[in-house]
Amino acid sequence: MSRPRWMKLLRDLSLARGRMMMLVAAIAASVFAVALMLSTFTVMTREMNANYLGTNPASAFIEVDQVDEALIEAVRQQPNIADAEATAWVNGRVEVAPDQWMPLLLFVVPDFAHARISTVSPEAGAFPPPDGTILVERAVLTLLDSIQIGDALTVQTPNGTTQPITISGTIHDPSLAPAWQEQTVYGYITPGTLAAFGEDTTLHILKITVSNQPESVSAIETTVEQLTGWLRTQGRVVDEIRIPPPLRHPHQSQMNTVMLVFLAFSVLALILSAVLTATMIGGLLAQQIRQIGIMKAIGARSGQIAALYLVLVMGLGLIAAVIGILPGMWAARGFSSVVAQLLNLNVYRYDVPLWVYGALLLMGVLLPLLVAIRPIRRATRVTVRATLSDYGTTAAAFGSSRFESWLSRIQGINSSVLLAFRNTFRRRSRLILSLSLLGAAGGMFMTGLNTSSGWDSYIRMAAADRHYDLEVRLNMPQSVEQMRALLGGVDGVAQVESWSLIPAALARPNGLDIVRTYPDGGHGSFSLRSVPDGSTFMNTPMLSGRWLQAGDVNRVVLNQSALALFPEASVGSTVTLLIEGQPIRLEVIGVVRQILSPAAAYVTPATFAAAAHMQPNLANAVRVAMTSSAPEFTAAVTQRIEQALSLAGISVRVAVSEVLLDNATSGHVFVFIVTLLLIAVVMAVVGLLGLTSSMSTSVIERTREFGIMRSIGARSRTVLLNVISEGVMIGLMSYGIAVVVSLPLSFGMGAYLGEMSFRSPLPLIVAPLGLGLWLAILILGSTAASALPARQAARLTVRETLAYV
Amino acid sequence: MRVDIPLIELHGVTKTYQTGAKTFTALDGIDLAIEQGEFTAIVGRSGSGKSTLINMITGIDEPTSGEVLVASTPVHQLNQEQLAVWRGKNVGIVFQFFQLLPTLTIAENLILPMDFCNTYPVRQRRERALHLLDKVGIADQADKLPADLSGGQQQRAAIARALANDPPLIVADEPTGNLDVQTTDAVMHLFASLTAEGKTVVMVTHERDLAHFFTRFITLADGRIVASELGVSA
Repeated sequence: MSRPRWMKLLRDLSLARGRMMMLVAAIAASVFAVALMLSTFTVMTREMNANYLGTNPASAFIEVDQVDEALIEAVRQQPNIADAEATAWVNGRVEVAPDQWMPLLLFVVPDFAHARISTVSPEAGAFPPPDGTILVERAVLTLLDSIQIGDALTVQTPNGTTQPITISGTIHDPSLAPAWQEQTVYGYITPGTLAAFGEDTTLHILKITVSNQPESVSAIETTVEQLTGWLRTQGRVVDEIRIPPPLRHPHQSQMNTVMLVFLAFSVLALILSAVLTATMIGGLLAQQIRQIGIMKAIGARSGQIAALYLVLVMGLGLIAAVIGILPGMWAARGFSSVVAQLLNLNVYRYDVPLWVYGALLLMGVLLPLLVAIRPIRRATRVTVRATLSDYGTTAAAFGSSRFESWLSRIQGINSSVLLAFRNTFRRRSRLILSLSLLGAAGGMFMTGLNTSSGWDSYIRMAAADRHYDLEVRLNMPQSVEQMRALLGGVDGVAQVESWSLIPAALARPNGLDIVRTYPDGGHGSFSLRSVPDGSTFMNTPMLSGRWLQAGDVNRVVLNQSALALFPEASVGSTVTLLIEGQPIRLEVIGVVRQILSPAAAYVTPATFAAAAHMQPNLANAVRVAMTSSAPEFTAAVTQRIEQALSLAGISVRVAVSEVLLDNATSGHVFVFIVTLLLIAVVMAVVGLLGLTSSMSTSVIERTREFGIMRSIGARSRTVLLNVISEGVMIGLMSYGIAVVVSLPLSFGMGAYLGEMSFRSPLPLIVAPLGLGLWLAILILGSTAASALPARQAARLTVRETLAYV
Repeated sequence: MRVDIPLIELHGVTKTYQTGAKTFTALDGIDLAIEQGEFTAIVGRSGSGKSTLINMITGIDEPTSGEVLVASTPVHQLNQEQLAVWRGKNVGIVFQFFQLLPTLTIAENLILPMDFCNTYPVRQRRERALHLLDKVGIADQADKLPADLSGGQQQRAAIARALANDPPLIVADEPTGNLDVQTTDAVMHLFASLTAEGKTVVMVTHERDLAHFFTRFITLADGRIVASELGVSA
């Protein structure tokens, strides 16, 4: 640093330290956001894989009439089969309060100690569970917060048996979404315990892992097809086959989507701060334009001067990156923990790969450098003559353009404000940059809130589309009339309709009943549903075609999730579904948008009865509308319905209330909204720092003018008002840009998030909160942002200002 | 010491500026030759084209037409990068308002041209700077910032900076315009001593009182040379 040019750089930096600190703060804030998101993304992707793959997830679950040891041994010998095991799944219910039930999914494990496929890890208590006891997934204790190990759960199994069962311990099953999120209790029992409920203890699920391309769904299908062929030659009856997306956690796609969106937002914040760098460096260069001219006059080449400022930007970027990376990494640990909790995962390691540090450093340094190259080139290429004749503002006299002439004719307002108004347009390129920066920041800020509102609205719309309060699924079909009479007589029930359902699958050329469902049966499920004639319980908007009408035979309305299973399908085409192993051809007459709902195909009761081989007067599910939808009221009515069904000896598989659905959906979005807002705040900070920088530069450039103003009688207050008015004016001008920018951005973001999460775009909602909040931030922020430079300007003495070089 | 080979030659130099719809002619067909070792004053009323003329010689501005040759280098044909290098080694410029870089010490201001043009070994630069400051009589101010110096001292420092790379030509634009009588006299003696050492000095000035220092007077009016006469010291 012995060379004077570097000394000059260092001293210039120290003179502009306020602005340079702002610049570093802006880049650091953006690098922080990127570090947070990128680190969380890499940690969670790795940990999600470690958690899920650690269970040795099954490649497929094949439902067979009976799976015994001999069969397992024989299956292991089949081509491309790595391993095989038996299990069973039983859907039951847990009584969480008198006559208040919650769904229960029981996994029957014949040998906990030696399980090899889709394993679980012991967390606390006994392992394996003694016969007559149950292990619960650890998140169940959060769902049922008054329950502890050693307490008894009242469990009802499909045959209607209800008895208490002691919780002997907890396990962790990373392949499941948390119990509190799905509002389902997950239990793990031995066949002996199942026998104690009087249930059939036959293990009917064959779990397999494949040795040939376990990551390829088509390779798994080929192996399963061969295995199924062999099983059938052995006289086995093969029913449903579940092939979940191979080696992918059920929430992998959603997590990737949300994290990538966050990452994109934070990278945009970084781009904004890079633009800010360009503005600030441009300001610094504007201030030093005369000195640049002198340096060139004494022999400096443009490249030598440009190198000075490029090194400056690199240095500042490096400092900012280092400042931003460390807290970003630290925050990522916290955020990863929250995401892990949301997904019921353990984080074994928080370290991030070295390339993340490298990428962050590169982004922090290179991005501002790339953006700053242009203003640096422009300033350092200017001729000596031009720099020595630069007077701070535009070369052309004010008033030379038509716009300026128009500005000069505006009269009748406070002269200080008028001066501020005209000054605003003097450095139009800088004004455009400030407006772009604030407009983009505001646009993204509003997009964050709009998307959040769109998401909220989507969930509200999902609830509003359902004009019923409770769905009761039965273990055995019951007479529709009997159910109507029974439940219709319950106090508080307004209307009862039968909405039978049966699992459906996509019919394949090989005739196999393959579904893409995970073991929890929820993620990726697909069912055929019967819709009563004239029902008003579902009011979902049609995306295309029409809704069912009485007399529609072999016609189907798909929801958008079901449509995704049939990429070729459209209104008028025919789809073939597999119901209980039998193909059924249905003409698609419409597609409905159904939010937060698994794939479903809706048919008339007649079509359903034919497809499900169920008597038309029977139903295995009913939906109930109540006279009030208040949570306390629906809970009480649900309790009375449970009592009535129990007295009638009708076994309930599951009762899904609106309250349950609401609890299940709201847990998914909270972290998303908070994070989106956090990034929006980073953007707002970057935008306002940009304005502060712009105003500081403007004040420095006009130092001489302030001196003239003061010499002709302007008081400090006048100067202060002049600068602040200009800042607020720029802030208000950017508001319109922000609103315009936010519209396509919100639309695109909503479409992307909605498609990835719900297969349907989120509605475009212009959140009044976003509009109001950004306006308030702009007014307050731009006042504050220009107050500091204004104060500096107001403090200048005439002597100082006129001596300014 | 004077030799007969012109150091500076201007042939038919015209400079026009476009101001709105009007064309303003700052220089109109200037033909001029200044020989090595001359101490030339360029005089004339405000707006006569004095500064434009020296901007042509230093390459700060380029002619609309005509040729500018300095030590046989066609300055008008050089691009900005070539000009910077050429200027750094061949021309020392002294401005009216000194134009020292405010964040560098006086010595550092002198080292800067050597740094940019890489003309002296790094270890020798400070020594040379101190030698030049000593020559202009302000060696004791070497480590002060420009703001700490008086106007006269700053102008001496600016002259020393102009000599940093030992250029044959010194161009000064009203270097005494901001100085008092005594300081002006000292600065003029400094320039005169440089010409005695063989440097060529071209100076824009308004001050007729300084006539005794110059070897030649060139008078401009409306962008034309209206008189070229020998000075008292010629």
